[in-house]
Amino acid sequence: MAESDTPAEVVDCVGMQCPLPVIKIAQAIKGLDAGQLLELLATDPGIEPDMHAWTRRTKNELVGITKDGEVFHVLVRKAG
Amino acid sequence: MWTGEGEGKVLYVHTHGVDDPGRCATPFFLAAAAAASDCEVAIYFTMYGPTLLQTDVVDKIGPKGDRGQPLAYFIDQARGVGVRFLVCQPSLELNDLALEDLIDDVEMIGGAAFNDLAIEADAVVSF
Repeated sequence: MAESDTPAEVVDCVGMQCPLPVIKIAQAIKGLDAGQLLELLATDPGIEPDMHAWTRRTKNELVGITKDGEVFHVLVRKAG
Repeated sequence: MWTGEGEGKVLYVHTHGVDDPGRCATPFFLAAAAAASDCEVAIYFTMYGPTLLQTDVVDKIGPKGDRGQPLAYFIDQARGVGVRFLVCQPSLELNDLALEDLIDDVEMIGGAAFNDLAIEADAVVSF
């Protein structure tokens, strides 16, 4: 499948605390096809190390993490 | 006892009970995070731990007392991502409980099974 730079799904976890962002992204990525992008929005201050750990364990690709004000934008590409 | 279907195996051991509500929730949400990371996860409730699984308790206590979420919220969160709950008979007897007093789908194991799970696990985390 061709890779796209547009997220196939955005998961809004703004205001949620650990472990909810991890649980939400784990549930959401099940519905994606391999190679599709998922964007997670989160304000949990621990999200950056959590997403590095989560993608390493699940073999999904951490495309990048940016911060816009208080909101982290985490881009993950589903593993093939 | 492990199915081997996960990318790793983590066994949590929960020894705290209803008399220490501040310590009741953390094992559940760490277990939930591990299960959401493609690990196979179980929590073994021993010593006072089984008291947390009583059907008439889970909605009445929480880590912050009357503030915040009740214990049932954390239990449901863990179960929602596939965390298994295990107890042993001596711990039930210690607390004058029977399996029927607990929430559904709690599995009974014994000491040999617990040790086998621990030896086969990639990590054992005890509280």
